[in-house]
Amino acid sequence: MNLVLDFAPPLVFAALGGVLSERAGVVNIGLEGMMRFGAFAAAAGAIFSGSPWVGLGCGALAGAAAAAVHALLSLKFRADQVVSGIALNLVALGLVTYLLQVVFGSSGVSPPCPALPRDRFGHSALAYAALLAPFLFHAWLAWTPQGLRVRAVGEHPRAAATLGVRVLPLRALCVLGSGVLAGVGGATLSVGLLGQFDTRMPAGQGFMALAAMVFGKWTPLGAAAAAFLFAAGDALQRQLSFSLHAADLRLEGVFLALPYALTLLVLALGIGRSRAPAADGVPYDPEA
Amino acid sequence: MLELRARIFAPARDPLWGAVLSLLASLILSFAAVALSGRDALTGFADLAAGAFGGPGPLGETAIKTGVLLLTGLSVAVAFTVGLFNIGAEGQLIWGALAAAVVGRSDVPGVLLWSLLAAALAGALWGSLAGWLKVRRGVHEVISTILLNWIAIHLVHGWLVAGPLAAPGSGAEVSVAGTAPVSPAAWLPRPLAGSRLDAGLPLALAIAAGVWFLITRTVRGFEWRAVGAGREAAEASGIPAGRRICEGMALSGALAGIAGALLILGTEHRYPGVFRTGYGFDGIAVALVGGGTVWGSALAALVFGALRAGATRLQLVGIHPSFAELTQGLAVLLVAAPRIFQPLLVRLRGRALPPASAPPIPTVQP
Repeated sequence: MNLVLDFAPPLVFAALGGVLSERAGVVNIGLEGMMRFGAFAAAAGAIFSGSPWVGLGCGALAGAAAAAVHALLSLKFRADQVVSGIALNLVALGLVTYLLQVVFGSSGVSPPCPALPRDRFGHSALAYAALLAPFLFHAWLAWTPQGLRVRAVGEHPRAAATLGVRVLPLRALCVLGSGVLAGVGGATLSVGLLGQFDTRMPAGQGFMALAAMVFGKWTPLGAAAAAFLFAAGDALQRQLSFSLHAADLRLEGVFLALPYALTLLVLALGIGRSRAPAADGVPYDPEA
Repeated sequence: MLELRARIFAPARDPLWGAVLSLLASLILSFAAVALSGRDALTGFADLAAGAFGGPGPLGETAIKTGVLLLTGLSVAVAFTVGLFNIGAEGQLIWGALAAAVVGRSDVPGVLLWSLLAAALAGALWGSLAGWLKVRRGVHEVISTILLNWIAIHLVHGWLVAGPLAAPGSGAEVSVAGTAPVSPAAWLPRPLAGSRLDAGLPLALAIAAGVWFLITRTVRGFEWRAVGAGREAAEASGIPAGRRICEGMALSGALAGIAGALLILGTEHRYPGVFRTGYGFDGIAVALVGGGTVWGSALAALVFGALRAGATRLQLVGIHPSFAELTQGLAVLLVAAPRIFQPLLVRLRGRALPPASAPPIPTVQP
C-alpha cells in the first residue's frame, strides 16, 4: 500500500492532465515530454533555490511552457495534434538531455536536490493531493459552468461557439492546465520521490498515464482509478520479485506489460462504452 | 524571372519547401542553442560534418544509420498511404530484431535470408494486429500502437531476452549481455575494409525502390492510396478497404521488422541485454519531414542519419550527442505546422497564388 501511494501520484497527475486536454478536444500524446520537462525543471529549481516547493512550481511552469508550444502549434497553426505531441516528446528527449549536460555537466543524473518533506507514513503532500485531486476535478468538470463549457468544446465546438463560448482560448487554457498537471507529475518523480533528476525519467510513465486515461474512459475518476490500479500492479510486481525468487523467472517484463495489454483488451472488447470525446483531435476553424 | 520563381516555388511544392525550410531552421536553432551555451558552434559544425562524411569510417556509420532510418521512415510512410498513423514502428522493430536474433543462431543454409524474412514476418504480425484492431474493433491506431509498443518493449526486454532467451549458462552478468550470438553466416556482409558499412543501406534502398513501385505503379498501390484518401469513397467503388488497411499495416510492420534485423545482423550480432534504439520513433520524424513520400523519406533519413553519426564527434568540443535528437525534434515541430512558413513561401513565389492543399498527413479522428 505504501508503494502504491509512491507510484500512483505521477500517473494520477499526468492522467488527469490528459483528461483535461482531451475533454476539451485536444489530443495530448506529449504528456511524456511535458513530464520530462517538469521533472528536470523541478530538480533544477529545487537545487538553485534550495526549496523543493519552488522546484515544484518550476516543474509546473515548465510543463505549462511545453504545453504552450503544443497549444500554439495545434490551435494557432492548426498542426496535426498527434504530430505536435510527438514532436514535443522528441524535443523533450533531446533538449533535457542537453540541458542536463550544460547545467550540471552530467549525462546521467543531476546532483541530489532538496526533496519534499514526508509525513510519518513516508508520504509527501503530493501523495494526498493525488488522492484528492480526482474528486475535485470531477466535481469541477461535472457540476460547474466552466466544466460544462470544457465538455462542450470537446464534444461539439461549433454548438458551443454559437452559445458564445470562445472555443480556441478555452482549449488553449485546458492544454496549459494539462501541462501544469503533467509537469507536477514529473516533479513528483524528481523532487517528490527520488530526490534528484535521472535522465531516464519519466521512463514511459507519460504513456502509461495516457493508457490510464483511455482505460478510465476519459473521466477524471476513471483515469485516477486506472492510475492507482496500474501503480498497484507495479508495486505487486516489485514485492513478488523480492519475495518469491521470481527474479529467477524474470517475469518483470510480463507484469510491466500488463497495464498496456489490459487497456488494449478493454478497448478491443469494447467493455463498457469507451469513447473519446467526439471532437477530440479535430482542429477547430472559427472562420469555416 | 518572376515566372521562374513562381514555378520553382509553385504551391504544389509547398510540402517540399516546408521540409527543407524546417530542416534548415531546426539546424540554425540548435546551433544557436549551442552558441548560447558558450560552445564554439562553428567548430562544432565542422566536427559534425567530419563525423558524418569524413572518410570511410564516418561514411559507414552514416550509411548504417541512414539504412535503418529509411526503413522505419518507410514503415510510417506506408501506413500514411492507407490513412493510418503508425506510432508502432518501435514495437514492430523490436519483434523483428528478436526474430532475426533467434533465427540467426541456426546454421541452415541461407540463414541470412531466413533471418531477414523472420524479422519481416514478426514485424508484419505486430503491425497487422493494429490494423485488425482498427478495422474490426474500431480501436484508433494511434492508441493501439502506443500500447503495442510498450507491450513489446516490456515483454522482450523485461522477460524474453532477460529470461527464456538469455544466453545459456545464465548468471546475472550473462543475461545482461542478451541472447546468444547469431552465427557469422547471418552477419550482413561488410564489403569495405576500415568501415562498418554493411549491406544494410543497399538493401534498404532496394526495398525503398520496391515500395515506391508498389505504391505508385501498381493496382494494389492505387487501392491503398484510394483507401488512405477516403475510406468510404474507396469502399463505395468496390475496394475492400478493411483488407487493404490490414495489408498496408502488415507491410508497414514488415519494414520496421527488417530495420530491426539490420541492427542485429549488421552491428549487434545478438539481441543485446540493453537495446535502446529509438529508431522506430525516429521513423515518425523521417516520414513526417519527408512528407509521407518514399524519396522524401530517403532524403530525411540521410540528413538524420548523418546528424546522428556526426553527433558522436561533437563530444570532442563538449557538445552532448543529444544535439541530434534536439535538431530532429525541432524539425518535426516546425514541419508539423506548415502554416508557419506559408507567408515566407508566398513572398518567395513573388505573387499571391492560392495556397497548396495540406501535405499528405492524415487528420486524426478517433
